Amino acid sequence: MSLVELHNVVKRFGTNTVLDRVSLSVEAGEIIAVIGRSGSGKSTMLRCINGLEPIQEGRIMFDGETVNDPATNLRKLRQRVGIVFQSYNLFPHLSVERNITLAPRVVKGMEREPARELAAAALARVGLAEKIDAYPDQLSGGQQQRVAIARSLAMKPQLMLFDEITSALDPELTGEVLKVLEKVAGEGMTMMLVTHEMGFARRVATRLIFMHQGRIWEEGRASDVLAKPRTPELETFLDAVLH
Amino acid sequence: MIREFALNDVYYLLLAARWTLALTGLAFLGGGTVGLLVALLRVAPFAPLRIIAAGYVNIVQGIPLLAWLFVLFFGLPILAGVRVSPWIAAMVAFSIYAGAFLGEIWRGCLQAIPRQQWEAGASLGLSFVEQLRHIIVPQAVRVAIPPTVGFLVQLIKNTSLAAVIGFIELTREGQLTTAATYRPFTVYIAVAAIYFAICFPLTQWSRRLERTLRVAR
Repeated sequence: MSLVELHNVVKRFGTNTVLDRVSLSVEAGEIIAVIGRSGSGKSTMLRCINGLEPIQEGRIMFDGETVNDPATNLRKLRQRVGIVFQSYNLFPHLSVERNITLAPRVVKGMEREPARELAAAALARVGLAEKIDAYPDQLSGGQQQRVAIARSLAMKPQLMLFDEITSALDPELTGEVLKVLEKVAGEGMTMMLVTHEMGFARRVATRLIFMHQGRIWEEGRASDVLAKPRTPELETFLDAVLH
Repeated sequence: MIREFALNDVYYLLLAARWTLALTGLAFLGGGTVGLLVALLRVAPFAPLRIIAAGYVNIVQGIPLLAWLFVLFFGLPILAGVRVSPWIAAMVAFSIYAGAFLGEIWRGCLQAIPRQQWEAGASLGLSFVEQLRHIIVPQAVRVAIPPTVGFLVQLIKNTSLAAVIGFIELTREGQLTTAATYRPFTVYIAVAAIYFAICFPLTQWSRRLERTLRVAR
């Protein structure tokens, strides 16, 4: 059994079909990079995996549980599936520490002291140990995104979803976030990331998926897929992003 | 018997202003409770609750406050055979009214918080109520303070309507003083001045809050 399984998933927004019978299996330890132009369904696919978006047809399984089954406890499931968003979505009224400890304390009932230690450890992983008492608006975009990663990591998820997490950042801040991602990847975390960073995808991903018109158009080893596109759609896309 | 408008009358007007403030306070408390419930139901992830709350708001906002006062004070004895005092009638009518308006104001404040904040909370495994309590409400409160104070000022002035059911507050006391002194202009200038003295500092405070809270975020 794979960690994540999508079976013929169909997702529509009104009459617009965003995911068109998508099937995919992700094994524990894999690092999947998802590329494709905007509107190709890549972000929506991630959001469906942790149940943020309902699906119309098909089935999504995480660790043997059916995500789209109304009887599934999504709260429990989401504690095991972290997601980091393009716009960071830190809580602006809470300090960095409380951003990170909120869910462990409220959801897992952790005490204050161990939660603070957990936050400190998570921040150390993203290289921001000294920012524990700062507020989000005192941090740069790159730092905020690293806090968002730490917040997600602190829940000790089995799977991390990254939704274009460097797209809102200035180019010189992208590097620090990618470095953190690479480190998390090196620690054996299962990851799915929607990205426009082709170099990063080639270097870090164990598998690359190209989405087009709501379908998985091509997939395979990142270096192979990027070097030898089999379809004109991928060729056009790579031409557009690489030049 | 006509007498002169004297300092004593001002004193009585000030005493009556206490009841204006008391009614405002109780109405704000009652309306705040109803309004909180309305606002929370209006954002609940369950359509029937949202529809009930929206229905309440529409009905209350579609009927003049004066009509509520009449229905409660004159209507209840006829319809249900229950006699209600002006106090109870005024308090209930103003709570119903303030509940709808505060509910709408606060719903707007809750909805002013970006959807992504809810999503971030949900993604961490927080329930709807936990998201509200720890993420949405603390941020919405900042947004809500200026319009809430603004509404409070409206409420103070609107309590004058309670005069029509014989509730003795500032305006009603003004009517009585006028009847005794036959000096409507002087009396109502005094009444207006007292309202102004209560409302103006609140308005100023609300403006200042609006400025500082905007800067804070």
